[in-house]
Amino acid sequence: MSSWVIRGLRTGLRTTAYPRRPETAAGVSPGLPDDGVYSAETAAAIAARCPSGALAAQDGHLHVDERRCVHAYRCVRQTEEPAGWRSGYEWATAVGDGEPGSSFRRSIHLIVVDAGDCGACLHEVRQLNNPYYNMHRLGFFVTPTPRHADILLVVGPVTDHMRVALQKTYDAMPTPKRVVAVGTCALSGGVFGPSFVSARGVADVLPVDVEVPGQPPPPLAILHGLLVAVGRAAPAASREATR
Amino acid sequence: MTPTDLARDLASRWPREVHERVDARRPLVEVTCPPARLVDVCRYLFVDRAFSFAGLVVEEAGDTFELRYLFHGSRGEPWAHVVVIVPANDPRVPTIVQPVHAADWHEREAEDLFGVIFDGHPRLGDFVLHDDAWQEGVAPMRHRFDARASVVERRPNTDWRPHRVVETPGAFVMPIGPVFAGQAESAHFDLETVGEDVIRALPRLFYKYRGIEKIAEGQPVDRVLLLAERFAATTAFAHGWAYSRAIEQIAGAVVPARAEALRVFIAELERFRHHVGAIHAICESTALVVAASQTAMLEEDLLRVSGALTGHRYLFGLVVPGGLTIDIADDACRAALARCEVVLRALNDVERLLQFSSSFLDRLEEVGIIAEADAREAGLVGPMARASGIARDLRKVLPYAGYDRMTFVVPTEREGDGYARLRVLFAEARQSVALMAQLATLPSGPHAVHVSPRAGAAVGVVEAPRGATFHWVRLEADGRVSRYRVVSPSFVNWLGFHLAVERFAFQDFPIILSTLDLSVAETDR
Amino acid sequence: MSAFGALLTAFVAVCGAGVVLALVLPSRHAARVVAWAGAIAAVVLVVMGATILVGAPAATRLWTLAPVGPLLVGHDALSGVFVLVTGLVLLPASIFTASSLPPLAARYSVRTYAVLFFALTVAIVWILIAADAFSFLVTWELMSVLSYLLVVFEDEVEAHRRAAYLMLAMSEAGFLAVLAGFVLLSAGTGSLAFDAMRGTSNLGAGVRATIFFLTFFGFGVKAGLVPVNVWLPRAYAAAPSAFVPVLAGITLSLGLYGIFRVNADLLPVSSIALGLLALVIGTLSALVGILYATPENDVKVVLAHSSIENAGIITAAMGAGFVFTASARPMLAAVAFLVALYHLVNHSFYKTLLFVGAGVIADRAGTRDLDWLGGLIRRMPWTAAAMLAGVLSIAGLPPFNGFVSEWLTLQTMLRAAELSSTGVKIIFALCGAGLALTAALAVTCFAKVFAMGFLGMTRSSEAEAASEPRASALAPMAMLAALCLLCGVLPTYVIGAIDRAVQPIVHASAAEALVPPFFVGQPGHDALPAAFAAEFHDLGANVGQGVAPGPGLVILHRGGTENPVVFAASPTDLAVMLALLLFVLFVIVRYGVARHRATVRRVCWDGGIRRLLPEMTYTATGFSNPVRVIFQAVYRPTSVEDTRETVARHFRTAIRRPGETVHVLDRLVLRPVRAVMFGIAGQLARIHHGRLNAYMAYALLLLLVLFGVFASL
Repeated sequence: MSSWVIRGLRTGLRTTAYPRRPETAAGVSPGLPDDGVYSAETAAAIAARCPSGALAAQDGHLHVDERRCVHAYRCVRQTEEPAGWRSGYEWATAVGDGEPGSSFRRSIHLIVVDAGDCGACLHEVRQLNNPYYNMHRLGFFVTPTPRHADILLVVGPVTDHMRVALQKTYDAMPTPKRVVAVGTCALSGGVFGPSFVSARGVADVLPVDVEVPGQPPPPLAILHGLLVAVGRAAPAASREATR
Repeated sequence: MTPTDLARDLASRWPREVHERVDARRPLVEVTCPPARLVDVCRYLFVDRAFSFAGLVVEEAGDTFELRYLFHGSRGEPWAHVVVIVPANDPRVPTIVQPVHAADWHEREAEDLFGVIFDGHPRLGDFVLHDDAWQEGVAPMRHRFDARASVVERRPNTDWRPHRVVETPGAFVMPIGPVFAGQAESAHFDLETVGEDVIRALPRLFYKYRGIEKIAEGQPVDRVLLLAERFAATTAFAHGWAYSRAIEQIAGAVVPARAEALRVFIAELERFRHHVGAIHAICESTALVVAASQTAMLEEDLLRVSGALTGHRYLFGLVVPGGLTIDIADDACRAALARCEVVLRALNDVERLLQFSSSFLDRLEEVGIIAEADAREAGLVGPMARASGIARDLRKVLPYAGYDRMTFVVPTEREGDGYARLRVLFAEARQSVALMAQLATLPSGPHAVHVSPRAGAAVGVVEAPRGATFHWVRLEADGRVSRYRVVSPSFVNWLGFHLAVERFAFQDFPIILSTLDLSVAETDR
Repeated sequence: MSAFGALLTAFVAVCGAGVVLALVLPSRHAARVVAWAGAIAAVVLVVMGATILVGAPAATRLWTLAPVGPLLVGHDALSGVFVLVTGLVLLPASIFTASSLPPLAARYSVRTYAVLFFALTVAIVWILIAADAFSFLVTWELMSVLSYLLVVFEDEVEAHRRAAYLMLAMSEAGFLAVLAGFVLLSAGTGSLAFDAMRGTSNLGAGVRATIFFLTFFGFGVKAGLVPVNVWLPRAYAAAPSAFVPVLAGITLSLGLYGIFRVNADLLPVSSIALGLLALVIGTLSALVGILYATPENDVKVVLAHSSIENAGIITAAMGAGFVFTASARPMLAAVAFLVALYHLVNHSFYKTLLFVGAGVIADRAGTRDLDWLGGLIRRMPWTAAAMLAGVLSIAGLPPFNGFVSEWLTLQTMLRAAELSSTGVKIIFALCGAGLALTAALAVTCFAKVFAMGFLGMTRSSEAEAASEPRASALAPMAMLAALCLLCGVLPTYVIGAIDRAVQPIVHASAAEALVPPFFVGQPGHDALPAAFAAEFHDLGANVGQGVAPGPGLVILHRGGTENPVVFAASPTDLAVMLALLLFVLFVIVRYGVARHRATVRRVCWDGGIRRLLPEMTYTATGFSNPVRVIFQAVYRPTSVEDTRETVARHFRTAIRRPGETVHVLDRLVLRPVRAVMFGIAGQLARIHHGRLNAYMAYALLLLLVLFGVFASL
């Protein structure tokens, strides 16, 4: 056992400095397409390439709806006229008018529900336990039961079979509670919903407080989403407002 | 053995009853037989000729169902498709689970989604569509069923009870899931117990059923590619590749050498990353904290390598029919390889330390044992089968993308317990990095060719990180998909779960589950 | 005629009237006759017991039977305690028959039951007031046979007949042992009268030991001590619901009465070794009883095994008393005997309560199997409340009576420190540990009974249809629950009463040791050291002075001068404090917390499955499985291999885990004895070959032997 201890100590500190300083390592985020101004037909052509309807062209303005982006990269790859691309990961937006309130000031317990996720979003949520991200240092803990949970973190488009389970989890949580929807599927149904066995995302079932776009959102984006949910980080500037 | 030989052999055994069609290019023998002969033909292929069962494809054609049982031989042997045609208004065929246990879940799924009755199957119903949420008789895979409309009329069976076999007084069912205590995928387990130890565990899956085979129907090829990549994203590249291979086969496209080499490089990167993740899950389930943290960091390192190399941490948007969406520079590949080798060195250190952690080994050895004979009958694939002594790897058996020109071994173990599966994961991780190293100099040329879809059907085959995956695609003349069938390794390997989990201590359950490395998303589709 | 005589006459008259009414009235009224006449007789008994307890001992000659001498009825405070308890148990038990007998009326004659019941009642009382060996033995035998007839009342079931037959056989064997014991005892004194037997000191040590063995194990059969109790769980399970409360609450106590009467009163144990034997047998009985009670799922059988456990605890305390007597520590002996009798009284109350409850459950929920019960608290809340009182009592939790007597028992065990022999101390320490383990397992066992019976989800459709029973079942339970609470909250009064029975036997007052005069104004209060009184003032010594007159509400054992206080507690104060704390908590929650926050009721978290089904909750078997695994060495399950049935090789259709356990005593005692008996019978069968001339030769041979014997006299 001592060799494990020594190995652990020798590894040193690997944890990211985020949210104090931005994380700059390569490969921590896939980025997102960026709004931009093009000629009218170029914008329309770019928008038409998007398979999930995340891009909309209007008079040469290309608008990105991150909630629908599935990272197919068709707007930037195998094309002569690629759309703009932005890196970063602070994508989470607050929806609705709910304020977190004083109950969310100290340590926070999460319950994670997989509502039909493909594995990627859930995997990125799990990475938050990784020493690189270590959400414990920010006071976030995963709890085994919704009875102790402050935040419900949902991934996946909400399949028909998971609808009851998700609703029951939400009902079992004490108030005040916040719902964080993580990933494109949870926001818009992604490539799966709506269909005969899938909803159009969590908002079809529960009131969502924070949305984290991305397919999957990288761990730092989810961390940002959690900080937004408890009012400790500013949400990404709402696209609706700037438009 | 050539396809013609196999065709002749079958014709001599069942003269005038079965009809063979030979496709020497694939190579493939398509055997059409009457339902009465189905079991005999399948037994002959599976038991006597030791063919592997790849899956069952049901296709609705007019007022008939065409049931296609896919078998493939070892290296140098052809595929055999056993085809049975039954009327859609009375679809009954005999079950083949007696000789081919591997077909169990395929038949249950076909019964649930198409309404095909498999005479003699001991457990039909309540499979994909849960009986306590849906009425009997909903057959969503039928053409007349609308994939995009939600089913309003629901008459669930309110008397639903868990299937129980333990008949000891005082036995009860301990339900676990679908919402778990950790961050596990949604699935439900009924553990039958009288307290202390679990006598039997029964999984109830398909909580995450997204119906991708149904919603793919009528969609263009590039749209279905999104589904193929995203239904099980931890092994997205392998599934996207298998789908692309099916399309390329239909279109008769030849993928450029550079694209094939890059695909192999990325597929092995994905396998390496997946195996490190699986090792991490095992360490975590045994509560070995330092090892879990170390492997978690290695996994994140590899996710970052993937992200830096391809733009996406899970390799989305990379593979397309005909090649890759982007070219990757040689030195970028070499840089990625160098980082992978650093990770591998750290992984080897972890393995060495684990071999001397007796508390860790105690919890893995002789836990969740799958015997070789059972594994063979259940048709298990991937590392799980290889830990039970079945050295079947599609990269060797049905070589593709130049794997036959590369040097690597297929690691196998005999014990079939949790520790054997862990050793296989470590050995395969080393093999993957060795394979990447062999691609240090990539062939030059284009990274993609244009593929124009045409009518036809083919099965795309890839050895995904969790094992063999088969994507059956049928295209219409307009380039739209009319049938998409995914046989994923986890779907097959859940049968192994039944073999591994009987009579165990309750606290061993998460450990057994982690060593089996079963993906729910891959199974539920 | 004395008050005692009048009451006895009244009691016999009521019982006789009951018999006549049961025979005369239409049989549909028979159950009500049993209930009413039994209840009146019980009230008479209560008055009689109280009269005897406060009065002076006396013996009257009833009439003289030529060859054996005078038949005496007598009474002292010891009989008084038992008569009082018999009355208090008989009252609810009789009322309960009004609702527990009618279900049997369709198949069996309730009139017969009535006749047997009243005859048994008279026999029981007569045992307690018999003052000579002859009437004692005759009524004892009568009681044994009548008990057998009542146990086998539902005789259409084969298992009932077998169980009752085993009971009869073992009772008779016990009776013969007791008879032999009394023959030896009376041979030493030349008289059958108890008064004459008292104080015979001219018996040799060997004879005394023989008498102890014969009476201890002879009465031990009725009391349910190892190894002579194999009949008990079977018979209790077989007996009708109406009769089990009497069987457990009264006849079990009679066995202990016999042991106590002979070995403490008539011929006090003078050997430490014999006392230790009683102590060890008692501890073993307690352990074996609770070990087999815990994994059992039939409520009635759980209670039967737990009767063995309780008889063991009582016997262990009694054994401690024997040791203290033999070591010339009268004060400690008095405490030990008092504790034994206290626990005996308590056991009669709570065991009767629990058996009535078990009868109610069996009747209303259709089964006694805890695996198929559950959730009854929502369907029968009053029954649940009464059963909760019983369960808390038997598990030894305050503020109920079991706590006081079990706590005192363990404290008494610790008093062995005052003895000089190290070996004796070690045995006491081991037995104390055994009793502590018993107490812990009892909590597990009865947590299971209540949780699996009344809480959670209902696991069978019969139990789902359960509803509250009639008043004739609820009233007895309420009565007994109140008695359990009273004996737990006001122990100083119970100690005072029982002390009257113990004092004349050991010539020392336990009450003096245990209940000092704490209340100001009590005689002897001023003699208490002031600092001493002040120290225990806070323990609640003065609580309730205005409500409850008496010396005080504190139990306190006073040792010698160098060690003035050995142990102390005030269960009264404890009860008041518990109630106060609950009240304060209620006020805080109700007016402090709940005023600002809305109370929301949510269903139990089930992991998100669509519907939590009853088969998905813990069963009683699962709950007690850890105990079964830990004590595997005792239970020795015969098989642990699962059998599997499959179709098509891979599809499991059934997994069975066959396994039965044979009771450790059946394995070690009953089966060997039975094998020997059958062996002897097999040998004897050889001379039973049916030839007439041979039989005539046997008769002749016997005559010759008899002549020889008489000639030699």
